[in-house]
Amino acid sequence: MRKASDIGFGEKAVISDIDTSHPSSRRIIEIGFTPGQEIELVNKSIFNDPLAFALRGTVIAIRKREADCIIII
Amino acid sequence: MITQTAHSTPLVTLVGPPNSGKTTLFNYLSGKHYKTVNYPGSTVDYSVSKMQDKFNINANLLDSPGIISLIPASPDEEVSVHSLYKHPKYGNPDLIIATADSTQLSRHLLLVRQLLESGFRVIVVLTMSDLLNKRNFDVSTKRLSELLNCDVIKLDGRNGTGLDKLLNLIEINLNNSLLSGKPDTTEYKLDNSSPLINMFRESEEIEKEVIFRVASTKNISKADKELQILSNYQIDNTTIKIDRFLLHKYWGIFGFFAIMSITFTSVFWLAQPLMNLVDKTFGFLANFAQASLGDTWYSDLISNGLISGIGSVLVFVPQIIILFLILGLLEDSGYLARGAMLIDKPLSKIGLNGKSFVPMLSGFACAIPAIMAARTISNKRERLLTIFIIPLISCSARLPVYALLIGFLVPNHNQWLGGVILASIYIFGIISSVVISAIINKFSKFILRNNDNSSFILELPSYRMPKLSVVINNTVTNAEQYIKRAGPTILALSIAIWMLSYFPNNNPKIEAKGLSSEQVISLKSSERLAGSYSAQLGKFIQPVMTPLGMDWRVGVSLVSAFAAREVFVSSLAMIFRVTDSSDNLQSSILHSMRNAEIEGTNQKLFTPATILGLIVFFIFALQCISTISISYKESGTWRIPLFQVLIFTGLAYIFTFITVNGLRAIGIN
Repeated sequence: MRKASDIGFGEKAVISDIDTSHPSSRRIIEIGFTPGQEIELVNKSIFNDPLAFALRGTVIAIRKREADCIIII
Repeated sequence: MITQTAHSTPLVTLVGPPNSGKTTLFNYLSGKHYKTVNYPGSTVDYSVSKMQDKFNINANLLDSPGIISLIPASPDEEVSVHSLYKHPKYGNPDLIIATADSTQLSRHLLLVRQLLESGFRVIVVLTMSDLLNKRNFDVSTKRLSELLNCDVIKLDGRNGTGLDKLLNLIEINLNNSLLSGKPDTTEYKLDNSSPLINMFRESEEIEKEVIFRVASTKNISKADKELQILSNYQIDNTTIKIDRFLLHKYWGIFGFFAIMSITFTSVFWLAQPLMNLVDKTFGFLANFAQASLGDTWYSDLISNGLISGIGSVLVFVPQIIILFLILGLLEDSGYLARGAMLIDKPLSKIGLNGKSFVPMLSGFACAIPAIMAARTISNKRERLLTIFIIPLISCSARLPVYALLIGFLVPNHNQWLGGVILASIYIFGIISSVVISAIINKFSKFILRNNDNSSFILELPSYRMPKLSVVINNTVTNAEQYIKRAGPTILALSIAIWMLSYFPNNNPKIEAKGLSSEQVISLKSSERLAGSYSAQLGKFIQPVMTPLGMDWRVGVSLVSAFAAREVFVSSLAMIFRVTDSSDNLQSSILHSMRNAEIEGTNQKLFTPATILGLIVFFIFALQCISTISISYKESGTWRIPLFQVLIFTGLAYIFTFITVNGLRAIGIN
């Protein structure tokens, strides 16, 4: 099972599921990470954390720990 | 026109996600000039205003922090959601104007649909449709209105096109509200996240229906192929490229430190010529007043009490203006969100959050808005810790004090060294706040008493050229507020300190034989001070000041600085009676300071050791009543401000003691 935190720099992937047991999962969904969406890892901060994903026409920065709840195909 | 009912003015509330053009719309409708900032979460409290008179609509307008959903995740979002359901003063809104970015419809429709589901009367305002047009797309407001079953219009935030239509709709909706009463609403609740995911799916469908491709002369053959909604999602490539650099492992850190150091060195360098001008003006005025009024008590009150007191603080307004100007440019360009992202990891190691960055940065201007800005942090422990350490960030009220003390250490012509010392003070302040944050984090069970889920989710807005007019406007407002806030305090305290140090021994008898008139005046004033109320008061403080190598005169100034830190400077000016023949106010304060001796000895009062000690004192001491009260209000407990005062002021005393005596022990007096 791959997670959004495993995506390489510049790689695109499609979200298959969100782990709703993660405490940040509701906000992750509300901001636009939903199953079926294509995301792209466009940038990383120093220490490779947080990660910046492009989705739905905008860029959202989330921590690696939060990217763990985004399951990709 | 809507006439006012006997008991209530209708309430129109603006709701929208961050960066959806909500504040711009508020400014259009209210005629006010609140800043719109390119950092998600720049509004942290609601503001209420009347609609502009020229619109002829009698309604209150409420603007609140941006939210992305009706289920709040941080205190600033709670402010917004609470204002929708149970505003204590205004009640439920009669009408909601919901802003949504046309290029972000599937995301921004989520909130609109939650509002409609809860039963609110809503007008949807679509913003940024010009960006959509640029990509050869457009949005059908008619179709969207049918699908959502509420009014929808487009509004161009740059020139206000569409405002007339909006006003018309507001009037119709408010008339309806008058006839049928406020809508019945139910609080929006969610048991699990599957309704959210469904709502997103439906929003995507709606988006596909209402966004259509505009026929363009080129690419017609490809047009059909690109009719997928995905091609609308173009991300600003320049932004991504700039971010590759500014978020880079090495360049990013380099850029971060470069931007921060340019900010603080320019505060010192750029302001210098302006400061000299203000300084000379007040020095001239003080001398002029004394020369024309003669050796009387009111001459002394006006020249030493009022003009020097006010002047010694106004001298620093240029520095404050430049600080606000640069912070404004950084905010408006969009860099702040990147700054937050860059230092999230390091900050999380000491119990803070990347979102603590903006509050901490605003702390360089003033702790009060900074503590309020901490509302954007969703984790309570991190928020309390951010509030806790903000007083350690050197605010603009400390600038006058540092500038004077640095002026004592460094010869006047060496501005470069002055800038370096100021930068070091700032860096020392930051390092101390980091260390103290790490320590408090260790004792978090005892002091903060909260431990909840830590998260960092932040939209990175596209970079844009800062709008200079907005930034300047905002800087002027901030500088005005600074003067208005500090001005009366300084004026009142200046007069109080003047009285305490002039009376009751206001006409001392001295042996004037064989002395020049100037010597007589100087001898008189030192005799007067020695028998004054403040000297009597100072005897209580003396035992505390002696270990620090200072006397009661500095003690009185330090105590008065608890009302506002800047007062330290005017208080010194007052106690040391600075008006002399020099035409420059600051240099006369420094001149008197250099000549001052500890009473009863011929030991110099101000030496490099005591001056450095004072700088250390001001870095740590929490000497601001407004900060204490806002810290109580925002943390909701007296525990936090109490610990802040005890820990910071205690540390200030201990470290000052160590600095002064340590330096003396190694031979630096």
